[in-house]
Amino acid sequence: MGPTLIGTSKNIIRIRELIKHVAGTGLNIVISGETGVGKEVIAQKLYESSPRKGKPFIKINCAALPEGLLESELFGYERGAFTGAERKKRGKFKIAHEGVLFLDEIGDMSVSLQSKLLHVLQSGEFAPLGSEKEIKTDTWVIAATNHDLEQDLKNGKFREDLYYRLNIIKIHISPLRERVEDIPLLIEYYIKIYNSQFVSKNLIKPNKNIMEKLLSYHWPGNVRQLQNVLKRSIVLNDWEKIIEEFPTSIDNAKEDLITSELPPEKFTPVADFINFEGGNSPDLASFSLKKIRKNITDKVEKEVISYVLCKTGWNRSNAAKILKISYKTLLYKISDLNIAPPQ
Amino acid sequence: MTNPYKILIIDDNEEVLNVLYNFFRKKKYDVASASNGLDGLKLFEEDGFDLVITDLVMPNISGVAIITIVKRKYPDMPVIAITGWGEHPEALAIESHADLVFKKPFELPELDKAITDLLSKKKG
Repeated sequence: MGPTLIGTSKNIIRIRELIKHVAGTGLNIVISGETGVGKEVIAQKLYESSPRKGKPFIKINCAALPEGLLESELFGYERGAFTGAERKKRGKFKIAHEGVLFLDEIGDMSVSLQSKLLHVLQSGEFAPLGSEKEIKTDTWVIAATNHDLEQDLKNGKFREDLYYRLNIIKIHISPLRERVEDIPLLIEYYIKIYNSQFVSKNLIKPNKNIMEKLLSYHWPGNVRQLQNVLKRSIVLNDWEKIIEEFPTSIDNAKEDLITSELPPEKFTPVADFINFEGGNSPDLASFSLKKIRKNITDKVEKEVISYVLCKTGWNRSNAAKILKISYKTLLYKISDLNIAPPQ
Repeated sequence: MTNPYKILIIDDNEEVLNVLYNFFRKKKYDVASASNGLDGLKLFEEDGFDLVITDLVMPNISGVAIITIVKRKYPDMPVIAITGWGEHPEALAIESHADLVFKKPFELPELDKAITDLLSKKKG
């Protein structure tokens, strides 16, 4: 069974129409929308509805990898192309030949890599790192972003020529708070799925009161957050308790983050950061205030960032705003501190 | 006398769309119009047109997509691109085999003459 696009809102109906009319064209597409709205579902739906179905569907997240690594992932490399390249590696453009390459978070791609991507889109050819020979590729590029690319253009963060070449078809998916009529259908759909996955549990549909609260919530993490809430509801089997945890607005969400306490078990005693040997006597040879400070900072940052990401349903834009750090810094910290979304 | 040709005009700028629609109606063309790429594509798929005029930068389906789709289906159908968005969309329109690109603002009689020429070339 292919991916399902749930909803009866104008936005979803329009997207279904667009998919029907453009899936067979193989023209470059940009899917835009906030984190968690379901951009990948649309990409998969386009692929499933196209003549490329059955060929590779390759996804790569442009925000998750450092520039050099992203380049070698996209284009591949020859043996000896750089230190550590002990054998040849095929790039995503090669693997996705005749299929789809889904470039998630394209707005986070560096400007220098954007020019290399533009070359592939213009010529249909690319050269792996360490090779001068261009390889032909017939790849349908579907990109996704939660950035305002028009704004990125103005700020010089996105190449104008690439912008027009990618935006041959634009699909915008609205945030969940702007299509509340889809919420009951999404709840029904996911309850069915999760009930079949968790055999011993059986989540009942929310009653009218609960549903009203679910409909009036702003869902900063969109469908992904709704999925997490439903999974949690299955575990707790108590809608009232779940609803009590909801902040009612973004401002309240911030306040909630400030005023709420971390569970006591999350605190790590200071002693754990210090290499004590033999009871309470610190090993003076390995003692370094700088190292301890770094360990503590990393630990605290990891816990705080994880907490904010959890509260925002892994909406990284919102989390960065709440933490008052740049989006890029947040992405770097997620990667550096090994912060992973809950499974 | 009614003009035998059917023209499809697509532009998300309602003002431009109305001006073009009324101008070519007065010239007795059979005119259909759409204010975005998707509605334009739907009209194109339903009906037989002799010529398409499309804006380039539009919501959902761009003019470049329209040109590509039309030319794949009917390589000989004349397509005119109109744009006010600078060199990159223009270059893409030419690459997609648009017959002509008009930069906004343009003179209506010039567009009219271009259409007459393209249609007579097609007929010939």
